[in-house]
Amino acid sequence: MLLEIDGLTKHFGGLAAVSRLDMQVNKGEIVGLIGPNGAGKTTVFNLVTGFLQPTRGKVVFDGKNITGKKPHVIAELGIGRTFQLNPLFADFTVLKNVVASFHLRPKSSLLATYFNTATYRRNEAYILEQSREILQLVGLDTVSDELAKNLPHGYQKMLGMARALAIKPRLLLLDEPLAGMNPDEIDFSMAAIKKTRQQGMTIVLVEHNMQIMDLCDRVVVINFGHKIAEGLPGEVRRNEEVIRAYFGGEYVA
Amino acid sequence: MDVMDKQLSIRNRNLTKPAVYAGLIVILSLLPLLIKSPYWLHVFILIFIYIIATVSLRVITTSGQFPLAHAAFMGIGAYTSAVVSKELGWTPWLTIPLGALAAMVIGILIAYPFARLRAIYYAVVSLFFGIGVLQILFVFEKWTNAYGGLIGIPYLLGATKVPYYYFFLGLTSLCLLALYRFEFCRIGTNLKAIAQSYMVASSVGINEARYRVIAVAVGCFFVGLAGATYAHYNVVLSYTSFDMLATLWLVLYAIVGGMGSFAGPIIGTAVLMVVPELFRELKEFVPFLSAGILLVVVFLMPQGLVGLPQLVRSWIVRRRERKAITHAS
Repeated sequence: MLLEIDGLTKHFGGLAAVSRLDMQVNKGEIVGLIGPNGAGKTTVFNLVTGFLQPTRGKVVFDGKNITGKKPHVIAELGIGRTFQLNPLFADFTVLKNVVASFHLRPKSSLLATYFNTATYRRNEAYILEQSREILQLVGLDTVSDELAKNLPHGYQKMLGMARALAIKPRLLLLDEPLAGMNPDEIDFSMAAIKKTRQQGMTIVLVEHNMQIMDLCDRVVVINFGHKIAEGLPGEVRRNEEVIRAYFGGEYVA
Repeated sequence: MDVMDKQLSIRNRNLTKPAVYAGLIVILSLLPLLIKSPYWLHVFILIFIYIIATVSLRVITTSGQFPLAHAAFMGIGAYTSAVVSKELGWTPWLTIPLGALAAMVIGILIAYPFARLRAIYYAVVSLFFGIGVLQILFVFEKWTNAYGGLIGIPYLLGATKVPYYYFFLGLTSLCLLALYRFEFCRIGTNLKAIAQSYMVASSVGINEARYRVIAVAVGCFFVGLAGATYAHYNVVLSYTSFDMLATLWLVLYAIVGGMGSFAGPIIGTAVLMVVPELFRELKEFVPFLSAGILLVVVFLMPQGLVGLPQLVRSWIVRRRERKAITHAS
């Protein structure tokens, strides 16, 4: 088991954004985390990646307790993520966004970096090559010299994913990777996610788009911070409680 | 332009840049042969010193922190070196690095708690730190002679200006070289990444707090160095050189020159320190003059003075296009 979430709880004042959530992710799986707006999906991501501290509960990654660790430490341990509102290094070019994200592997020491040693130069050459490869994977190689802020929305989303891939993660958390994309971009992104998965990546994604559900091996549904269902995409779609959460009680057959 | 041409022009530009810098240094080294006035040599020496200060200020801002205590760190360097050399009789060559290190150490000590603060909060808290740290001078009044000003500081190179001119030309060039490398290696990239989005930066494994502390340490070291060398050149120190107003002048120089580029603070410092000297009879009006320049720059040159050539170029192109259109019709 790669990721194990055990009784995870987060209170904001009196509001329980996430409440006693249990969730497991196995190596090589794609798991969908879905739920209506405000269900607590993004909060779960922020708790796992250290951007928020849980009130209670435990997060174990690859046998290691990572609860409450700092975001950069969790990144170093191998969890990459994208953000729903997708902040970028807006004034860097597309290529530099990815190059800058290659902070961890390979890593040069401060002194080697400053004094431009052979090791540093070799690392940077390798990083440049790898960055171009990632950009090709997500289809941004043709715009690699554009400033990130000038890209259309769908491209920016893909750049977010490219950046997350640059840390060579073992687990990838994608927060609404398809939000705001047009149908062509959706097809392309789905292909890229599939390809990444074929290379052995484990992925957890939050998404409203139902197309992507079919990519998932398993779906976890949460509402008001509680897990209300878990199972195969087809099963979950027929689950009464899920239908009630999304559409209201009168739609339950 | 075809690809080959483009490559060639890029290669040429790579050659012209160092050539321009080398030429500039040659001209600056010949200047004392032309300018015999000690007053103008003094102005140039001060410009060299303040260039180190404003460029090191900008180093900290590239990480998204806006320090408003920078002159105070210059003061820490200056007073540390001055007092130690005066009271203990050490040579300034030893106490100057000591002063720079003192500024750096105090910078690091406050950078850790400050690393939790962002944007305006950081600016305000650092502003009050700058005001507060000057109070140390009054605590150690016995050595610093707080209000009266510290006198009798040992000279670094004697009382004539020319040796200092060359010393500071060399020192400033070296500092700029060191800081240029700092900005354009991966360390600088990480700082700029943090400034653009600290969330994204930490999500790719950049330790935000660590890099912000590094930026402050480097910035404070160099401004401390500027202050310490200043002490042994001027041999008189007044706390007003390092108060809040002094910090705001540094900020003004940097903003007018252009915070967005490495050359910005250099140009801003040179221009804003020379212009008032040209209007020396109007000394009381210098703040108005500088504020006027700031207004003009902010409204007309969003990139600062650095952006001026590009602005002029695009203006000429637009004019030419307009002419072509009127001719055609």
